[in-house]
Order: sequence, then C-alpha cells, then structure tokens
Amino acid sequence: MKKLLCMLIAIATVLSLCIVPAMAEEAVEINMFIPSPEYADAVNELIAAYKEVAPNVTINYETTQNDYPTLLKTRINAGMTPDIFGTTSGKEIADYAEYSYNFAGTPAAEAMDPAVTAMMTYGDGEIHGFALKGNYFGMLYNKAIFEEVGIDFPKTLDDFEAACEAISAAGYQPVTTGFAEWWVFKHVMQHFLDAATDDPAALVAAFQKGEAHFKDYPVLYDNFFRFIDLCVKYGDSKPLETDLAGEVSAFGTGKAAMVTGQGPWVEADVLSIDDALQIGFAGYPVTDDPAQSQVIAGSDQALRINKDSANLDAVMDFVNWWYTSDYGKSWFCDVAGVIPPITDAKIADMQIIKQGAELAAADGAGALSICYSSDSFNQAMGEAIQAYIGGSLDKDACCAQIEAKWVELDGAAA
Amino acid sequence: MSPMNRKALRDTLLFTLPAVAMVLIAIYIPFVMSGFYALTEWNGISRNPRFIGLLNFKTIFSSGSPEFVNALVFTFKYSALFILFSNVLALALAVALTKKFRLANFLRGMFFLPYIMSMTIVGFIWKFIFTQGFEKLYELTGWAVWNLSWLGDAGLAFYSLVLVGVWQSLGFYIVLYIAGLQAIPTEIMEAASIDGANGRQRFFRVVLPLLGPSITTCIFMSLTNSLKVFDIILALTKGGPGGATYSATLDIYREAFQNNNYGLGSAKAIVFFVIVLILTQIVLKIFERREVKQ
Repeated sequence: MKKLLCMLIAIATVLSLCIVPAMAEEAVEINMFIPSPEYADAVNELIAAYKEVAPNVTINYETTQNDYPTLLKTRINAGMTPDIFGTTSGKEIADYAEYSYNFAGTPAAEAMDPAVTAMMTYGDGEIHGFALKGNYFGMLYNKAIFEEVGIDFPKTLDDFEAACEAISAAGYQPVTTGFAEWWVFKHVMQHFLDAATDDPAALVAAFQKGEAHFKDYPVLYDNFFRFIDLCVKYGDSKPLETDLAGEVSAFGTGKAAMVTGQGPWVEADVLSIDDALQIGFAGYPVTDDPAQSQVIAGSDQALRINKDSANLDAVMDFVNWWYTSDYGKSWFCDVAGVIPPITDAKIADMQIIKQGAELAAADGAGALSICYSSDSFNQAMGEAIQAYIGGSLDKDACCAQIEAKWVELDGAAA
Repeated sequence: MSPMNRKALRDTLLFTLPAVAMVLIAIYIPFVMSGFYALTEWNGISRNPRFIGLLNFKTIFSSGSPEFVNALVFTFKYSALFILFSNVLALALAVALTKKFRLANFLRGMFFLPYIMSMTIVGFIWKFIFTQGFEKLYELTGWAVWNLSWLGDAGLAFYSLVLVGVWQSLGFYIVLYIAGLQAIPTEIMEAASIDGANGRQRFFRVVLPLLGPSITTCIFMSLTNSLKVFDIILALTKGGPGGATYSATLDIYREAFQNNNYGLGSAKAIVFFVIVLILTQIVLKIFERREVKQ
C-alpha cells in the first residue's frame, strides 16, 4: 500500500514538472459549441486560419442542429458551459444573460452591423452576442416562369391572387409553402407584423401583455389569413405534409413559381437541383400598398461568449480577429458565402443575397420582428395556424389561441 | 453466519454493485432530482431554481394545461390500438410461423428485422414512404388511397403512427409468442386431437389458455412501450399537424425543453409516472388472474 502511495506521489511530481513548462507557452483551449452545421466546413477553415495567427490556441469546435438548445442546457447545468455557444437573438438574449459576456466597446462590437447589434442588445446598451451571419427574409420566385407568364412579382395581395391565377393557368404550381414546418409561419408572419404597425416591437409587447388583439389589426386579421388561404388554395396538394425538403424540390425542379418562408439558406440546395435556375427575391405582398412589400434584414442567431470562461481573453482575441482582421472580414463572403454581420465587408456573390442587399438599400428593410417573441411562442403559433389550415380551428379560434399563447409563453408570468 | 456463507454474501454484493451503481446514476437519482425540480419554477437555464411548492401540480390539475390532457387522451388512444393490433397480428403470425414450411425461418427473420432498427430510422424511412413513396404509387395506380395526406391530416396522421409503431415492433411480439407456442407440450395437443377437438377448438380451448404467461408478458410490454411512445412521433410528425399528435412524453419534452418550463415539465412527468404505474399494475393483475397454471 505504502509502495503504491509513493509511486503515485512520484508520478504526480513528474507530471506537474511537465505541465509547468507547457504553461509557459500558454497553451489555451477554447470550447466552441454552436448550431448551424451547414457552415461546419467554413468554420473549420476559419479555425485553421486562426491556428496560424495564434498557434498556442486550440479551438475545439462542435456543432449540431438537432436539439441544440437541449444539449446546450445540459452542458450548462453540468458546469461545462462552452466558451462560445449559440442561442436565438432578440427575446432569448435575456434568458442566457447571466452566462453572457458583455462585449460592448470591444473592436468586434464596433465592427458589427447596427441591424445585427440591435438584436444582440440586452438592457441598457449591453451587447451579449455576435453573429455568424446576417440574414434576409422574403419570398423567392422563379424568374423564368414569371417572364413566361408575362407578369411582374406581385407587391399587393390583389396582384398576388391575380398572379397565382395566371401562373396556375400557365400550368405551373403558383406557390410552394412548407407549411409542415412550424418555423415557416414565423418567417411569413413577421412581414405582416411589420406592415400592421410602425412599431412592431411595441405591438408584440402589447400582445405579450394580452392588450392587443388580432381583430384590431386588419393587416393581421384579414390580410395575413387571406395570404395563408391563397397559399393553401394555390399551393402544394398536401400543404401540411410539405416541409423544407418538399419546397426545395418543388422550386428547384421548376414545378413551383414562388416559395414562402425561406431565404438565402436554400439557394445552394435549389441550385444543386438546377444550377441554371434564375432565383428572384422580394418582399411579401402584405397590403394593397406596394411600398409595404419589403424584405427583412437582421440576424436571428446569436453567438455568445461565456463570461466565466477561464480563457476569456483568448476567446475575445479570437472573436476580435474574426470580426476585424482581413481574413476574418473576407471569410463571411468568400468562405462561408453568408451575409456579413459586419459593416466593412463585401457582399457574397449569391442571387438571393445580392437582391436582398439591393432591395434593402432601395426600399428599406423591415424589422426582424420574429425576434421579439420566443421560439416557444413561435412554435405554438405555427401549430395554431397549422390547425387552422387543417380545419380543426376556425379563424377566430386560431387568433384566440395565438393571443393566449403569446401571454402564456412570452408574457410577464413566463 | 458461517465463513462460507459470508463469502457468498460478499460476492453477491460485490457483483451486483456495478449494476446497482449504474441504475442509481441513470434512473433513481435523476428520478429523485426531477421530483425536486417538479417543486420549483425553473427554465432549465438559470442557476437558481425557485422553490414554489406544489404550484406546478396545481397548474396541471386546474385546467391550466389542456395540452397535457389532449396528449394523455392521444397516448391512451394510441396505446389501445397499438396493444390490440400488435398482439392480435403477432399471435396470428406466430401461429402461422410455427407451422412447418420452407420459408418459415426466413420469414421470422424478416418480421424481426424492423425491430432491430432504431425507431428514429424507421420513422424517417416511413416519412419518405408516406410522402414520396405514396406519391409515386398514386402516379402508377391512380388509387385515391395513395393520394391522401397520411401525415398532413390530423385524423390520418394518428393512424399512420399506429401503423408504423405496430410494423416496427411486431417482430418482437412474434418472437415472444413463438416461444410460448413452442413451450406447449405436444402430448396435450395430441390428447386434444384424440378427444376429437378440431383445429379451431384446439386453438381457442387449449393453445390460447396455455399461452397465458406469454399473453401477459406481451400485453404488459406493449402497454409500457406504447405509453412511452416518443421517438417515432418526433421523426414522423413532430407532434403536428397543428399539434394533433402530441403524446404525453412528447408534451413533457416540449414543456421542459421548448417552452423552458423545466419545473412544470418535471411535474407533468411525475403525474404521468403515477398514471402509468397505476395502469400497468391494474392490467398486470387482471391478466395474471386469468392465467391457467400448467
């Protein structure tokens, strides 16, 4: 027994001697656990590039899409909070505030696009997140089909109905909807929320307090449901069974002329079906005023830094490098092919992103109002509208359920 | 106690210790912890759960969660159909597969195959069949049945789930029934034949009563498995369309992890646990009482 003890002490001594010189070189490990696996290759290139800048820093990058929030919560509760982790922006910024580093005033924060910063702000000017990418939201359409039918993309609801009729008569499916996915509805709904009021943030807050009602906002009560009805009428034959993959396939094969609820993230998949497809991008027709048909810009995902990280300085060095170095700035466009979340970067050469940037510059972009609500609510809203489409809820019952969920899941009590 | 006995006791304790430790860590400790969280208001994120006593249970029972009630009703409906179909079909197939014919062994293997696949994989395979496969079949045959929205219609989606659930686990119950059938002594069957019992009489009067232990096991297993149904729904419908196919377990998951009400979710889990406990005990008692002792 004594012998064993002696040996253990000896081994420990030798080990500690080995570690001390290693510490002198400041070998640092950063644990990065974030969603969006579609950018895994690009992030790995970024990490490899940083290894050349800072050879002593090792970044352990892990990513998953399925069930990311659950896995993240598990790690946080196990005391293994990753140094860099992700959540949605907007409403969810507050939920993880006690773990988040406020990096207002850092070079990264100063490089950030103000539209992105707005979604990361917590309390009084604290910035609790940065973004891997900016994003655009709007409708996609097949330019060739619109040319063949001889119409422009509709900017009002009446024009939308007429366009559906004309496209249908030409033998195409006017629109593919993806209504099997709950998140498609939040993407569509935010355009109507923006059109319903000048201050969508205040309107959503009123809904969350139970003080606002669909009936008082014709853009929501009439126009939104008219749009949904038209999408069902002129859309997929099995609307509640068509998911993202179904939409991509219907649009990519040239069967469907318009796509709801999607954005730049489907471009690569669609082009892999038909690389010659001319994709158009535009705001939703929401009212009878063409000026209200706008695209939406912003970032719906936030990456955060664990404020209790043992290597906080090393993590901030990495993020500052990502947002301000020449390689980092060109990474967004050249490697990841995303909309840069920073002001000083060039625009990626992709059809949807280019048109999104042009439209946002020419007509202005709407507020990213999905972020004023939590995803818990957004999912419940999606399910209520699915029930309306399936016929188990009528319009008033559907509105009542959405209003109740807003209070229940996002209200003061939640 | 003699030294020999003491050694045996020590060995027994020693050998069961690893298993006990694993079960403690994986089942009992989390169970006790969720019992504690059920008494708190906690979003699963913040460091400090707030103790609120029995308020979560009050929320569940005072009409505060119609979704949980709907999910329970869905789970019971699913369980009833699942138990019925999986047992009746498995018994029929087991009887057929114990007959001696050339492909019997091959078919046993084929029926068992889906059971060794993960439920999630089975779900995705069937999702493909229901959407793309049925569409192709409709193009080929023109039969309206293929053109129904099997996953997109609230009513149909329920039956689609039952179909896939039964299809997946059928092989398991077939194996249990085959074992039971083969354990029936041949002399009893011969005696029945000599006494002039025809095929149907032999099955209903001799085989079925003697299968009692197998039936009890299968009913019990199918009951607990169907009450716990989760992965297949997540893969096929995610509780949709319009929240029509939430099972109790999926609702608990949604409450705890999507709605960030970990405390309320834990409370629901406890309530569901008690319901399952009572239900299984009743069913077990009923079937055990009816068993024929050989």
